[in-house]
Amino acid sequence: MEFLKENWIFAEVDLNKVNPITYQLITKMNQISELPVTVVLVEGSSESLEEDIKEYGPDKIITIKNDQLVQGNDLEMTNALDTLIEKTGRPNSFVFAATVVGRSLAPRLQARLRTGLTADCLDLHFEDDGTLVQTKPSYGDNIMCEIVVPNHRPQMATVRSNVFEAKKLNNPMTKVINITNLKVVQDKQLTISSKPLPQESAESITEANRIVAIGRGDKTEENLTNAKRLADKLHAVIGVTRPLTDLEEFDINDQIGQSGQSVSPDILINLGISGAVQYTAGISNAKTIVSANTDKDAPIFKHSDYYYVGNAEEFSKALEKALQ
Amino acid sequence: MKIVVGIKQVPETTNVKINEKTKNIDRRGISGVINQYDRHALEAAFEIKAKTNAEVIVMTMGPDDFVVSLQEALALGADSAVLLSDRAFAGADTLATGYVLSEAIKKIGDVDLVLLGQQSVDADTGQMGPIISEFLDISQVTYASKLDVEEGGLRIKRYLENIEQDITAKLPVLVTVTDQANDPKYVNIVEIAKSFEKEVTTWHASDLNLDADRVGQAGSPSVVRSISSPKEVVKDNYKLPDNPQDAADELVKILKDKNILVEDK
Ligand SMILES: Cc1cc2nc3c(=O)[nH]c(=O)nc-3n(C[C@H](O)[C@H](O)[C@H](O)COP(=O)(O)OP(=O)(O)OC[C@H]3O[C@@H](n4cnc5c(N)ncnc54)[C@H](O)[C@@H]3O)c2cc1C
Ligand SMILES: Cc1cc2nc3c(=O)[nH]c(=O)nc-3n(C[C@H](O)[C@H](O)[C@H](O)COP(=O)(O)OP(=O)(O)OC[C@H]3O[C@@H](n4cnc5c(N)ncnc54)[C@H](O)[C@@H]3O)c2cc1C
Repeated sequence: MEFLKENWIFAEVDLNKVNPITYQLITKMNQISELPVTVVLVEGSSESLEEDIKEYGPDKIITIKNDQLVQGNDLEMTNALDTLIEKTGRPNSFVFAATVVGRSLAPRLQARLRTGLTADCLDLHFEDDGTLVQTKPSYGDNIMCEIVVPNHRPQMATVRSNVFEAKKLNNPMTKVINITNLKVVQDKQLTISSKPLPQESAESITEANRIVAIGRGDKTEENLTNAKRLADKLHAVIGVTRPLTDLEEFDINDQIGQSGQSVSPDILINLGISGAVQYTAGISNAKTIVSANTDKDAPIFKHSDYYYVGNAEEFSKALEKALQ
Repeated sequence: MKIVVGIKQVPETTNVKINEKTKNIDRRGISGVINQYDRHALEAAFEIKAKTNAEVIVMTMGPDDFVVSLQEALALGADSAVLLSDRAFAGADTLATGYVLSEAIKKIGDVDLVLLGQQSVDADTGQMGPIISEFLDISQVTYASKLDVEEGGLRIKRYLENIEQDITAKLPVLVTVTDQANDPKYVNIVEIAKSFEKEVTTWHASDLNLDADRVGQAGSPSVVRSISSPKEVVKDNYKLPDNPQDAADELVKILKDKNILVEDK
């Protein structure tokens, strides 16, 4: 099997900013890869995000500056990456963020290259022969599988945010290669117009260090006001379970869990949350978990370092007072 | 307009365990249901059908007992159903599954819209949509949160982590549907029984124009090497006192002692 002796990372760029998952992937790859680590960056013609990426010390950055491609059409991007790979040869592996973009683009490229792709990995390591062992959850995180792609290259994977830590690394050898002459045929079937989502809190829950999460047991208007006061006091961000996204003020970006966001705060306080697997799927990387629930057998308690059996609002008020 | 909706039958609960003897997933006693997201894909198809008189064909690849889910989809309002079933399809990864489904869609012919769920709740990959789009050589819109038919195509809302997209799509196109898109209807047993009058067509490998090297286990680049129960993160499960203020005071003290809550923040 002929292939390019490099491991590749697709840089995810949202609104002219590199998504932090890209840095997490670079740090992880630098730790596990014997082969050179290459980042593929697609950016607008006036951007220079390679400067930000360099701080994490990959061996190589391939930049494609193209204003059409940054519109985010999966077909156009697949064509571009396929053309690039035709020029360079197929890398040993190619990993993407398990974001909406990554989970849409990577499988299309997988099909173009007719190779294997593992979704939503929580861990990666290489064996001596370059085999990438991909650990992924299934059945809403109730089962872990190890998946390999023995006979095809690139070995592809999407990786969840916040499972690896990003560390800056000084690498004076980082090479930047500009690809300028890549032809992009426009996909006339789709017209995509994008705008940034209004950021309710300055900090999103995926990046928050402290989270106060509220569930159906703490959802009256008065409960919410109290929870928000507690969050303010703690400098925490509010997260919710899925049923609360029915309320006007919350949406999928505030929702924690399998069909929402994975979070990794230092501290998570659950108020009136039962602990359904779809919810707990999103909190496995929270460091310290505190939960309050009236039900002494609530499943969430098993996932908690500290728990309080009783009314969530009373607990939240008392906590606010204790923090004075 | 001709719409194909792909559905997958999944275990009723994701709360599955590993059988210690066989080291395989123990599905004993767990019955199959339509993947929740596929109900939203079906509902999206029915809403379009109500407006445009579209024909809705529901399709699944899987063992013969997946026919139950097809019957339910017929009862919900699909016009016809196709079961893709063959020993040769067994052990397929996403690439091989997508190949068979795309060949079946080609066989149906003149399909304007392919609708899928955003992902299955068992394997969770969400890869089927992009793979089928690629094999059909059509454009794709994944994770649609809202779909409306309009002159010549669809208008779709889609959310990335920090971005909201407004997309107009000309037909043909493939769209995967989130659970935000609509509220699926359910049917009762009587209606399901009535749907037995509608026929389910079964296609085997020989009914499709397939390259034998690209189906089933042989056509699957991915190999599941092992499955296991996740490492239980052992949590202390420390019960705080019953009085709320005592509980709060003790918690704050512990968190400060452990440097989890630092004063200055
Ligand atoms: C395909 C699929 C995907 C899903 N994805 C997600 C997801 O990403 N995120 C998510 O959260 N859910 C998700 N769900 C839904 C999930 O299964 C649960 O229904 C949901 O997490 C329950 O939310 P909850 O804990 O707020 O509500 P409930 O389960 O209703 O729990 C409320 C809890 O509050 C307690 N309580 C009541 N009153 C009080 C009080 N005064 N003080 C303290 N406690 C009180 C109760 O004892 C109970 O434990 C998904 C479901 C499906 C089928
Ligand atoms: C535990 C486990 C983990 C797995 N992990 C991987 C992996 O990482 N990579 C990989 O390549 N394969 C994997 N597989 C194999 C994969 O599940 C199968 O190929 C499966 O048939 C399709 O993938 P999916 O369920 O993830 O579908 P998804 O892509 O998540 O499904 C999206 C939508 O496609 C439609 N759809 C899905 N399956 C069918 C079907 N059979 N018939 C009709 N429509 C359908 C539905 O509308 C569904 O909502 C795994 C299987 C298991 C059991």
